This record gives sequence, C-alpha cells and structure tokens, in this order.
Amino acid sequence: MGATMTQKILNRVAIGDAVVAHGEIIWAVPDLVSAPEVSFAAYIKRLRDIGVTRLAKPECVAVIIDHEVPVHSAAGAERNKLTRELARELEVGHFFDGAGITHPLLVERALVWPGMFAAGADSHAPGLGAVGALSVPFGFEVAMILATGQIWLQVPETIRVRLHGSCPDGVAARDIVLATMQQLDDAATSYRVIEYQGAGLATLSIPERMTLCGLCVDAGAKSGIATADQRCVDYLHALGVPEAQLFSSDADAEFALTIDLDLNTLTPRVSIPPSPHHVRQAQELSDIVINHAYIGSCASGSIEDLRAAATILRGHKVHADVNLLVIPATQRVFQQALQEGLLTELSVAGATISASTCGPCFGGIAQLTAGERRISTSTRNDPGRMGSHEAEIYLASAMTVAASAITGRITDPRAFAAAAVLLAQRGSAA
Amino acid sequence: MSQISSGRAWKFSNDISSDELISARHVFEFDPRLLSKHLLNTVRPEFAQQAQAGDVIVAGRNFAHGSNHSHPFLAMKALGVGLLCGSLSRGPFRLAIFMGVPLLQVDSTVLDAIEDGQQLDIDFQSGSITNVTTGRIMQAAPLAPFLQDIVNAGGGLAFIKSRLPA
Repeated sequence: MGATMTQKILNRVAIGDAVVAHGEIIWAVPDLVSAPEVSFAAYIKRLRDIGVTRLAKPECVAVIIDHEVPVHSAAGAERNKLTRELARELEVGHFFDGAGITHPLLVERALVWPGMFAAGADSHAPGLGAVGALSVPFGFEVAMILATGQIWLQVPETIRVRLHGSCPDGVAARDIVLATMQQLDDAATSYRVIEYQGAGLATLSIPERMTLCGLCVDAGAKSGIATADQRCVDYLHALGVPEAQLFSSDADAEFALTIDLDLNTLTPRVSIPPSPHHVRQAQELSDIVINHAYIGSCASGSIEDLRAAATILRGHKVHADVNLLVIPATQRVFQQALQEGLLTELSVAGATISASTCGPCFGGIAQLTAGERRISTSTRNDPGRMGSHEAEIYLASAMTVAASAITGRITDPRAFAAAAVLLAQRGSAA
Repeated sequence: MSQISSGRAWKFSNDISSDELISARHVFEFDPRLLSKHLLNTVRPEFAQQAQAGDVIVAGRNFAHGSNHSHPFLAMKALGVGLLCGSLSRGPFRLAIFMGVPLLQVDSTVLDAIEDGQQLDIDFQSGSITNVTTGRIMQAAPLAPFLQDIVNAGGGLAFIKSRLPA
C-alpha cells in the first residue's frame, strides 16, 4: 500500500518509530512555525508564566505583524512594540512587520517547499498546501510548539479531488473550492485533508492553488494540499527555493473519498450567509443589491486576483452606491501591481487601495453596519464577522466581486469576462 | 482536578459557530475573564452572566466550526463549564483539550434526553451522564486516556510543564 502526501510528510517528521497509519496519534516536529502579532505575545506571556524562557527551535519560527496594519489603536501599538521586542529577544528566525499576510508571504519569501510540515497559529495556515506542504492550524497550541518543538496529531485520512480540464473565462479557483464544498459537508471533511491533484491542477497558478488549499479549512477540513507538479517546482525555483522537488501521493495510496471535478463545466458561484458552505450560482443572486465589495485576504489577494479584477473593471466604473476596497496580499504583490499599472486602473475605476493586511476579514477595518451587504473574496461570512450581526457577507472570486462592484448587484462575471477577452483580442489585432 | 461536574444544562442548537461563541472582533483579547463576558453573547446574552462552574454547554453537531479561535475555550475554562456536543471538528476539539475544557461527544439519544435548565452530573472520566432532573443515566465514550491526561493537568500548558526539562 502506497502513502498519501500527508502520510509521507508525517512519516518524516514523526518522533520515534510511530506507524504513520490513518488514525494513529503521533508526536511530530514541525519544520516551520508561524504566529501573527494577534497572539504571539500572548503565547509568550503564558509560557513565561509556566517558566519557559526560550523557544525550542527559534530558527524555525516566523512572527508576522499582519492583522492590524497600519496599526490603528493604542493597544495595537503596544502589542506591536512588545511583539518586535519579543521577536528580537527570543531570536526568532523570521520576522515580518507589515510586509504582507502570513500565508502568501511565507511562500513568497521562499520559506515553504514541497514535503514540509508547517504549523500555524492562524486558521488559514493550510494555504501553504499550494506548494505541497502540509500546513496545519493549531491556534493556541502553537505555544506548545514554541516551547517544546513538538505537537501531537492524529494522522488524517485524505480526500482526493481530481481536477480535469480547465476553467472557462469568468470562472476561477474560488469556484472550484465552492464546487468542492457542494459535494463535501463537514461530516465528510472533518479530521481529513483535502488533496487537489490531476491534469486540471496544472492549469492553475500557485496563487490560485493557495485559494484552493487555504479555503479547505472553511470546508471543515484539517488542511488542504496540492500535488507539487512541475509548475510548482518551477515557481519555487524562480523564487529561490532550490529544495523544491516534485512531490505527490502514491497511485496506490488509500483515500477516504475521491471526487472528480470537470473544470470546463464549472460556473461562477457565491457563498451566501451564514457560512461558506451555503453555495449558490452567482446568476441566481442577481436581485441582491450590495453596498460594499472587497478584493483581498490570504486566499485571494494575489497579483492574479488583482489582474482579474482590473480586467473585469477595464472600461467600467465602480457603481456610485458601492464602495470597493482592494488590498494586495503582500507588499511585493502591491509593488508588482503598481508596476503593471493595475493599481492605477483600479483606483481610476473607483476602488480604494489599502496596505497589505488581514484587517477586513475579521472586522478589524472596513466594518459593516446593520443592513449593509458586502461581496468579498475573503475567507468567511459568519454573521458579525465584519462588524454588525445584521450585515450580510457574500463570498466569491475576484472576478465576481469586480463585476458586482460595477453593477451594484451580485453579478455573474462571465459576460464581463467575455467582453474583456474580445477587447484584448481587438487590442492585440490593432 | 476532578473530572466530575455537577450543574445545569445550557442547551444550544447544531452548528453553533466559533464566531457565535465569541465574535472574531475580540480576536486580540486573551484575558480569559474578559473573554468569558463575551461567550455566546449574541446567541444567548444571559449565559455569560448566569453560567456557574460545573454547568455544561449541551450543543448539537459541528460545535465551534469556522475560525480556529482559542477564545471560546479560554472563556469556557475561565467559567468552569464543560461541554457535551454531538460533534466538533478537529480544530475546536483540540483547542478544548488544550484549554483544559472537559468534554464528551454524545449521540442524539443523549442530546434528546436533556432539556435546557435540567441538572446534570457528569463523570468525564468514565463518560457517565446523569440527568438528575429526570433520573435518567446515560453513557458516552470518554476521551482517550492520553487526552484526559491533558485535560486533567488543567490544559496543554500545564501538561507540557511536566514534560519540560527542569
């Protein structure tokens, strides 16, 4: 019997002679541990309370200021100051201060590669699965890893999602995730890893795979991972990760479930309140008026999301009654978008552009009040997530959000996407 | 630490999300006593004021789904309330144990036999649940002994303290 990617990774990092069979509880040593400023100082305080004064493997620790950027509260300023001091004092290996959102940032800064086992304090740590790493959110348990370098876990089963074909114009990675969620309820995903593989995966860029893997947690799974194919290896080599090698599950590995998705048949979808699992076709929701639109987050703030949004908005304006906020996921994405002229285009169309941060995703900035609606590329739409409990959040791809920002209603972006393709063809013919 | 609790049942539905337990806007707060004031505020405002140590949250399936936030479990630990639920996914399951919140996963016959406000005696070590109000005695599968050790130590930090070199 062969092994899944997850089993292979856990087999390497398990302590002792653990049998890495599904359901076994093992102790394992993460290769990389990340904590945002939200909680790092709080963990260290708790550890000091029990007499822990140093980190077990500080060189493997990344601390990231990303949730409140730029800082906008006195408490936040204190927290950041303490976080900076602690990161220095405890000699953490990687410290980023306002450089971007943890998960895309760790990939961009060449800290993640196929076969790695990463532990994150933040819920959306599974985004690193885009490059074939097993990245698991542990919340407060990261304190245990900081102190001991170890964590217990149960070896999870894997759900295999085989992708075939390629997405039509107007359909994006978000729609693949939402189509997956429509087939898998939380009873199916709980305690399991979702693994994306197949020829269709090769049509998706690494940032698109971050959307797939990062949102696995919102499908109720322990983590998400994608086959590290040649496209992934080439991407990582270009970033300066010489360790990157092809990595996949064995053909005869044991999977809990297999789902086949034909990307050619996918349509734009939207998660409606009260949770990401509630998925509808975008075109069914055209009566829903929106006041706010947001493009950003760890799952959808990549250069490709910004290109997609700019493509849809080209030749259009944001609706007079809509406030469109765009947040590039990292400073490097911000800079690249500047160089490509995307931020100018988006700004001229009427978007507000802000510094890289997780802020809107959890109601840290750009809050909604009662009766307002936002369509967003962020990760969750629980009531109250962005401010008022009487506000509604809809989740969709950058293209669907951009199209909706133009019309002021939830809008299937395919007509806009088709028009953009024609426009580009005319442009290149001219 | 005793694994036997005695108190009232606070009954909740299926699919109580992490954000419903404590809003994500309190994500920067880590003081358990402050957090306990926010627990279940939007779902049931009187809970945080009235819950006593030994009381038990009785909820349906998929408890605390969504964000992997420690905050609800810090608050539950501070209040001294335990948890009976139909199911919970791995993130909240781990966090409950790490925070030292005693819990049992139970089937629907147990959930159906408990009404809000009834008095419960629960032995988390053996999995025995007594509905004192109705006199009915029920049984659930207890946590694995390894996980009970963490809960009994008072949570993961107290547990690792015993594993660290002196």
